Amino acid sequence: MAKIRIFSTPACPYCVTLKEFLRENNFSFEDIDVSQDKNSLDEMIEKSGQFGVPVVDIDGQIVVGFNREKISKLLNINE
Amino acid sequence: MTYDLIIIGGGPAGMTAGIYASRLGLKTLLITKSFGGQIAKKAVDIENYPGFEKISGLKLAQKMENHLKSLEIETKIDETGRVEKKANGFLVFTKNKKSYLAKAVILASGADPRPLEVPGEKEFLGKGVSYCSVCDGPLFKDKVVAVIGGGNAGFETAIFLIKIAKKIYILESGPEVKAFEANQNIVKQSGKAEIIINAVLKEIEGNKFVNSIIYEDRETGGKKELKVDGVFVEVGYHPATSYVKGLVDFNERDEIVVEFETCQTKTAGLFAAGDLNIGPFKQIITAAGEGAKAALAAYNYLQKKAE
Repeated sequence: MAKIRIFSTPACPYCVTLKEFLRENNFSFEDIDVSQDKNSLDEMIEKSGQFGVPVVDIDGQIVVGFNREKISKLLNINE
Repeated sequence: MTYDLIIIGGGPAGMTAGIYASRLGLKTLLITKSFGGQIAKKAVDIENYPGFEKISGLKLAQKMENHLKSLEIETKIDETGRVEKKANGFLVFTKNKKSYLAKAVILASGADPRPLEVPGEKEFLGKGVSYCSVCDGPLFKDKVVAVIGGGNAGFETAIFLIKIAKKIYILESGPEVKAFEANQNIVKQSGKAEIIINAVLKEIEGNKFVNSIIYEDRETGGKKELKVDGVFVEVGYHPATSYVKGLVDFNERDEIVVEFETCQTKTAGLFAAGDLNIGPFKQIITAAGEGAKAALAAYNYLQKKAE
């Protein structure tokens, strides 16, 4: 099973959609609220070069935003 | 397979249409890129939706989504690329390279944030530039940010950011800000915000991330620079209607022309509800109301067609 980490904020609709999408496809993930955790925020910015959420780390591969196509590919989700 | 109805969009108009369509027994597919639409991204609580004295946008959106999904309806997270008229209905093509056939379609894809179209905006998107303050705002703790737009959306964004940022500039291109007095007062009383009128944004600059903006003072014509870490764009919305060109008429704002009672467009069986149509009042309750009207009208249309 792939190790999935989601960097998100509490009120971001695309973060919610992304998590729903993963749950619907039976993936579990670590959900990191970067608004409460400065170290994780710095890690997210460094790894993604991005000042926006969501960011997903799938086995070390960084995906910025809810990029459904890329995420599906990395996780072998066929629709 | 042919659906009775396809609903495009998962904001209040689309979700209400879905609830009605399901209860009317229509075989329905709802396609949306995310649930909740603009309300899920609202920077301040909603206080004018009957039944809820005060509720966050995301919560109200989730309640609607839960209601919808408790019913018999198919939903797909995808984005619509094109709608074509066929002899027996409509073919909807999505960006995920799928196509679906339905006898009737309700367009309810709402509106997208209007871009500024200045140099640096695209380059620094997600690197300081944001169209979603509730998403990205919390990342700007103790930073200096600019909100572009002095309307209600701009001030609501500023109110949200007061609790987070160190300093907030609000730039309004006109000679006065247009936000409600109450919103202006909250912002002014915070002591954290500086409102700059007659300020036309010209450029967003930075290295890896945004570090400044340049604006023109319309009174003097001079250019000024502000050191900021973030830029929140709140200059209004543009209806998401480009994928139905040819099937509907537009007004000068690219909003879809519909008949008042039924929300039907010039094409029979094709309806448009919510912020993408010509209705002047862009409210959650009006969008939901139009979703209901469009679903009922679609039901009547299908009944008549079957006769």
